[in-house]
Amino acid sequence: MAQEREPVIQVKNLYKIYRVGHNKVRALNGVDLEIYRGEFCSIVGTSGSGKSTMLNMLAGLEKPTKGEVIISGEHLERMNENQLVKFRREHVGFIFQSFNLLGTMNAKENVALPLTFRGVPKKVRLDKADKMLDLVGLRRHKTHRPNEMSGGQQQRVGVARALVVDPEIIFADEPTGNLDSNTSAEVMELMKKIVREQNQTLVMVTHDNHLAGFADRIFHIIDGKIVKIEDNWKNREVAEG
Amino acid sequence: MEEMEEAQGGEEERSMSVKDLLKMSLSSLWRRKLRTILTVLGVVIGTASIVVMISLGLGLNKASMEQIEQYGGLTTITVYSNEGGYGYYGGGMAVSVDGSSDSESQEPVRIDDAAIEQFKHMEHVEVASPVLSTWVLLRQGVWENSASIRGMSREALEKMDLDIAEGSLPEEGGELQFFYGNTVITDFYNSKTGQNPFYENYDYENQDNYTLADVDLMNSPMFVIFDTDAYYNSQYGGTDENGAPIPAPKKYMVPACGLMAGKPTEWGENANSILCDVEALKAQLKKVFKGKAIPGQPTSKSGKPYKEIYYNQAYIRVDDMNYVTEVQDQIRALGFQAESNVEWMNQVQEQSRSIQMALGGIGAVSLFVAAIGIANTMMMSIYERTKEIGIMKVLGCDMRAIRNMFLAEAGFIGLIGGTVGLMLSYGISAIINFVTKATYASGISYIPVVLVLLAMIFAVFMGMLAGLFPALRAMRLSALAAIRNE
Ligand SMILES: Nc1ncnc2c1ncn2[C@@H]1O[C@H](COP(=O)(O)OP(=O)(O)O)[C@@H](O)[C@H]1O
Ligand SMILES: [Mg+2]
Repeated sequence: MAQEREPVIQVKNLYKIYRVGHNKVRALNGVDLEIYRGEFCSIVGTSGSGKSTMLNMLAGLEKPTKGEVIISGEHLERMNENQLVKFRREHVGFIFQSFNLLGTMNAKENVALPLTFRGVPKKVRLDKADKMLDLVGLRRHKTHRPNEMSGGQQQRVGVARALVVDPEIIFADEPTGNLDSNTSAEVMELMKKIVREQNQTLVMVTHDNHLAGFADRIFHIIDGKIVKIEDNWKNREVAEG
Repeated sequence: MEEMEEAQGGEEERSMSVKDLLKMSLSSLWRRKLRTILTVLGVVIGTASIVVMISLGLGLNKASMEQIEQYGGLTTITVYSNEGGYGYYGGGMAVSVDGSSDSESQEPVRIDDAAIEQFKHMEHVEVASPVLSTWVLLRQGVWENSASIRGMSREALEKMDLDIAEGSLPEEGGELQFFYGNTVITDFYNSKTGQNPFYENYDYENQDNYTLADVDLMNSPMFVIFDTDAYYNSQYGGTDENGAPIPAPKKYMVPACGLMAGKPTEWGENANSILCDVEALKAQLKKVFKGKAIPGQPTSKSGKPYKEIYYNQAYIRVDDMNYVTEVQDQIRALGFQAESNVEWMNQVQEQSRSIQMALGGIGAVSLFVAAIGIANTMMMSIYERTKEIGIMKVLGCDMRAIRNMFLAEAGFIGLIGGTVGLMLSYGISAIINFVTKATYASGISYIPVVLVLLAMIFAVFMGMLAGLFPALRAMRLSALAAIRNE
């Protein structure tokens, strides 16, 4: 089943080497992977294992030292910054660990912000933001500023903001890193639900094995190398079937 | 899903709208109100000082030009005869009118009809008229006015574009008629008390509040005494060479043919002139001074008057101010003295240019300081907003949009500062004009619309220029550095 689906993300022989003084840090040390459309994947590993570097490379926020990153058939490593911005705008949504909401805007405006950058008229984008906030269960907090909301609520706004542009792929770097375990589970379920409904691809980074377990497939990363791929897909198929 | 995205439209629709961009710029200025106000204040002061300084230079220039206008504009040349021999006009330059050799270079060069013909045929000369002027005494009841009357050719009078309020220009030849300038009436005084009602009651605060002598120039008869020497001698009991008292000279009634338009307080080129036809004046003078020397006319070496009446001056108008100097030189080459306002104007303009430069320079320094202020504010703002800029970039905001947002912010500071600065300039200008009203009636500080527009454009442009470096810096900020967890 998995083989029949088209890969939306392909990574081939990816290296990222940082120079720190005279030392070289191999943050990514030859990674190959494929992620399919509609999949929920998690990348799990200890702190410093290269998870964030991996994700940044996939999102085109950083250039690889060597190797290829192909998303929807486009080679990210060959793009200049302008093209990368355009690429992100057209294909990618982002969920941050520290939410990264703009403190001067309320929930609805924050969610509408990515639409502003796409030239969507005000009325349309506020309508969309409104619906998105309903979807993440923040009906009563639409005009609240980030500092008037709990961490969980803020991250729901973050999720809404990432999803409002209907991205093909959503990247999330430790999205629940600043949340307690109950709230974390809620947010995980929420992300999973929406992504599933809209057939989007979600790539999540975490150091928490339990949270990683929410995903269809789990990539274990150690010292910049994928050492194991767990497949929950089969289990789920069985359960559903 | 992919197809849907494609269908949403082309490149244009994909980036931020100008309206949203400007709104974001304004809101971030609004967020930092105090700092924005302080930065704007710098631009306000800079703009105001540069505008006020330039307005002073322009005002001075304008005042001088108006003065020049009052003294006969820029295309007229006044030609004087050259009596020669006394070395007061470069002596040796004089050449006799008929063009004979300059062996007798001290021969006086006088203005007669032949000379006028010569002037008329020079290139670029539009009008050349003789000017014969003489002092007379005008009387109407108790009111007297010792005035100079000015005889000119009808052709010249027509071409001078005089503004006629009433009547018409003097007729050619025939009987003598006067055409009065609009300020002539202010020179009448009461012969009994010696008081001039206009100057006695002059209101410096409000020029339109004036009192005039009870004289009707147009409709009541005006008596004219041409032989003023004889008149004063008879008044004060003078005697002739035989000791007999001098009889009062004859008075002549001279009708008015017209009045010039304008208030009695309005100065203009011919405002204070009493104009008449030159031929009529000549005939009149010959009649009045039959057998005697006409006052002001040259005499031969033996002291005898000439048969011909020479003109005091010639009035020449050139078709374009650029040729004034050229014509002037030609006339001088003939041995006459020739004066125009061009030299004066050149001097005035050079002077006001250097004043403007100096004043503008002072203003420019303060605007430069304001520009540094803008750059500083923008840099600080960018440091503070590093994270915000990073987030915007990750969320798909164009690099160009980010740059433009910051440029717009700096531009707004310039725009607001420029606008307020201009308002302030108008205020300061009004105050300066009020304080100097007594000396400069039409204002020493002058802000033309062009200056307003230029100042506005300059302020905005300067703001954006000051914001350019910070904006480029914001554009190049790494998105990754911003979103990395601290
Ligand atoms: N900008 C950088 N400069 C130098 N070293 C870096 C940089 N970013 C990451 N690293 C190093 O790369 C390795 C992987 O980092 P990272 O991907 O952030 O780990 P994780 O997110 O899994 O905790 C670490 O050893 C880290 O110190
Ligand atoms: Mg990390």
